[in-house]
Amino acid sequence: MKADWTKNISSATYAVLLHIVLIGLFVVGIGPTSAPKLASQPKVDIVQATVMNEADIIKEMQVQQDIENKKRLKEKQQQEKVDKKLEETQKELVRKEQEFRDQQERVKIEKKKQQEKIKKLEQERKLQEQKTKEAEKLRKVEEEKQRLAEQQRKEAEQKKQKAEQERQAEEEKRKKAEADRKAEEQKKIAAEKARKAEEAKKLKAEQDRKAEEAKKLKAEQDRKAEEKRKREAERKAQDAEANRLLQESLQAEQQEQEQRRVAGVVDQYSLMIKQRIKRYWIRPASSTVGMQATLRVSLLPGGDVKRVSVIKSSGNALFDRSAESAVYKAAPLPQPTDPKAAAALRDFQFIFKPE
Amino acid sequence: MTKRWLTLIWLTLFLSWQAQAELVIEITGGSESALPIAIVPFGSEGFSAPEDISKIITNDLARSGRFAPLAKQDLISSPHQKSEINFQDWRLLRSEGLLVGKISSLDGETYNVQFQLFDVYKGQQLAGKRYQVPASGLRRLAHQIADQVYQTLTGEVGVFSTRLAFVSVIRNADGSKRFALQVSDSDGANPRTVLQSKQPILSPSWASDGERLAYVSFENGKAEVFVQEMRSGRRNSVAAFKGLNSAPAWSPDGKQLALTLSKSGNPEIYTLELATGKLTRVTHNSQAIDTEAVWMPNGKELLFTSDRGGRPQVYKIAASGGRAKRMTYEGSYNTSADVSPDGQMMTMVHSINGKFYIAVQDLNTGALLILTETGKDESPSFAPNGRMILYATEQNGKGVLAAVSVDGQIQQRLGESDRGVREPAWSPIRK
Repeated sequence: MKADWTKNISSATYAVLLHIVLIGLFVVGIGPTSAPKLASQPKVDIVQATVMNEADIIKEMQVQQDIENKKRLKEKQQQEKVDKKLEETQKELVRKEQEFRDQQERVKIEKKKQQEKIKKLEQERKLQEQKTKEAEKLRKVEEEKQRLAEQQRKEAEQKKQKAEQERQAEEEKRKKAEADRKAEEQKKIAAEKARKAEEAKKLKAEQDRKAEEAKKLKAEQDRKAEEKRKREAERKAQDAEANRLLQESLQAEQQEQEQRRVAGVVDQYSLMIKQRIKRYWIRPASSTVGMQATLRVSLLPGGDVKRVSVIKSSGNALFDRSAESAVYKAAPLPQPTDPKAAAALRDFQFIFKPE
Repeated sequence: MTKRWLTLIWLTLFLSWQAQAELVIEITGGSESALPIAIVPFGSEGFSAPEDISKIITNDLARSGRFAPLAKQDLISSPHQKSEINFQDWRLLRSEGLLVGKISSLDGETYNVQFQLFDVYKGQQLAGKRYQVPASGLRRLAHQIADQVYQTLTGEVGVFSTRLAFVSVIRNADGSKRFALQVSDSDGANPRTVLQSKQPILSPSWASDGERLAYVSFENGKAEVFVQEMRSGRRNSVAAFKGLNSAPAWSPDGKQLALTLSKSGNPEIYTLELATGKLTRVTHNSQAIDTEAVWMPNGKELLFTSDRGGRPQVYKIAASGGRAKRMTYEGSYNTSADVSPDGQMMTMVHSINGKFYIAVQDLNTGALLILTETGKDESPSFAPNGRMILYATEQNGKGVLAAVSVDGQIQQRLGESDRGVREPAWSPIRK
């Protein structure tokens, strides 16, 4: 930064010196041709020229031109008076002007070069500045880095501390659990002891109860034995009677068997009777489906008809009579030799139906 | 104590045994076969009877198919009245009835007849009557007694005292023929001639009063319809239209005749109101022969024979005319229909392979039953109780009368005429 600033100062000094040189050139150029009225003015101008800028210079040069021109005009008039020598002077002037112009051109180029130089300097300064900034930035990054490192270190430290704390807490917890477990175990042992005591008590009670029951059972057995003995005595006392009853029931069974046998015979003969009556039954042609006559029939021993009566008429006298006749014609009805079965086949109801 | 209990138990058992002792037996079926009956020849006193009454009765009952009279030799005794009957004996014969009777005459002209019908099992009289008739009435009386027995034991009306009308063809010594319209008893016996003619007589038909006959006579050289009163013998022509006048049939009320007339040029059925002579044409089928009309018992419809279907078949049509309905489909030939009195059946001549049989057809179901076997049978006519069918057949080349029961079980030849007979008609029951 300091360098930039010193460079700027030296650049300004260059500019001032250049201007002084240029003005000096002008004074030299116009010195011999300056008009009386205007003679004083350039003196002042020179002093002031140090602070004039380029435009002022050009303007000054313009003014100078004008003055020159006027002077040349006056001189032309003088020349008319003066001889050809003046013409030479003019020629000299043109040559000087050409020189000035070349000079001016050179100044221009110089100025451009100066400007470029200034620009370059400026760029260099800016670059320098940039570099400085970057360096600053780099430094800051470095600082930040250091700070972060520091922070990390601190954090690590804290973490370590925390871990330590946790470990301690864990240790404490473990110790407590251990203590609790031991307490619980203690409690369990106590409970087990209590349970065992209770069990022992119960066992005792059960044994007592069983003993009681056994006692009761014994009493019951005794009572039953007593009862049984009594019953036995009773049974024995009733033996004769029971025997008699058995005899009777056997008899009843025999009778039942006999009845079944008789019933079988009765069934068989009923069918035969039915078939025989059916064979002899000639219905009147006027009989119709749905007619029905019920007859009560009693037989004599041997199967002859003792009595026939219509107990429910078909409503058709011929039909009723045909049924009666059928019974008579069928007689003697089949009779079994077995007297009991025959006795069962004495009284009938016959139902006569056409279909 | 126990002994008394036991007695009580036994008593109870015994009583219940007694209550059950009346066995109940159901008898279903039976048959409708002929009833066995014992007919003892009637006892005779004084002049002997010109007719064997018990024989006539026996034949009547047997002919009906409803009775099976016991053979004479099976009769164990000959009682003539109740006091002479030992029912116990008769029971062994297992007959449904026992008919006994007596006939006596002091002069050989007037006869006293009595009969008794018994139920031998109950020893009860079921029917019995006394009559006094001239000798000429004995045969008729026998038929009447048969009717009473029949009715008593079957519950149906007997038709033995009805008559038959038929045409007899008598061959003269010179070879010419005579025709006689005759009326006989229902057994064909005792024929009486009511009309004789040298020209053919055809198609006798009884009026429902049994007093009038309609028939066709050719006596005037062409077929004309006459009506003749039986008692008076009075007769008159009722249809003598141009062409054919034939096949008369009485309406049930006796006021109209159905006829076949060809006055329109083709045989058609007409009805004729006898009192007014009003003629109504029934059929209008000029392509076919329509003939042999008979009335349904309702008096509103006719059965007739027509070949409108190509072959002769029986049709039914309203007496007022209209659309005819074909009634016979079995066989290619069914003619000469007659309707049973209850309108449930018809009988007709049914032909198979050129032979002609008498058949019956149930008018409700159309079921057909062929009754005869002779193959030359014609002109069936229902008995007025619908149980028998009278018809003409041929025996030894001669026409004879025959009867068949509607179930075809009983077939009998009637009468003993050596003349050819044909076109029989069974009379109604005389009111």
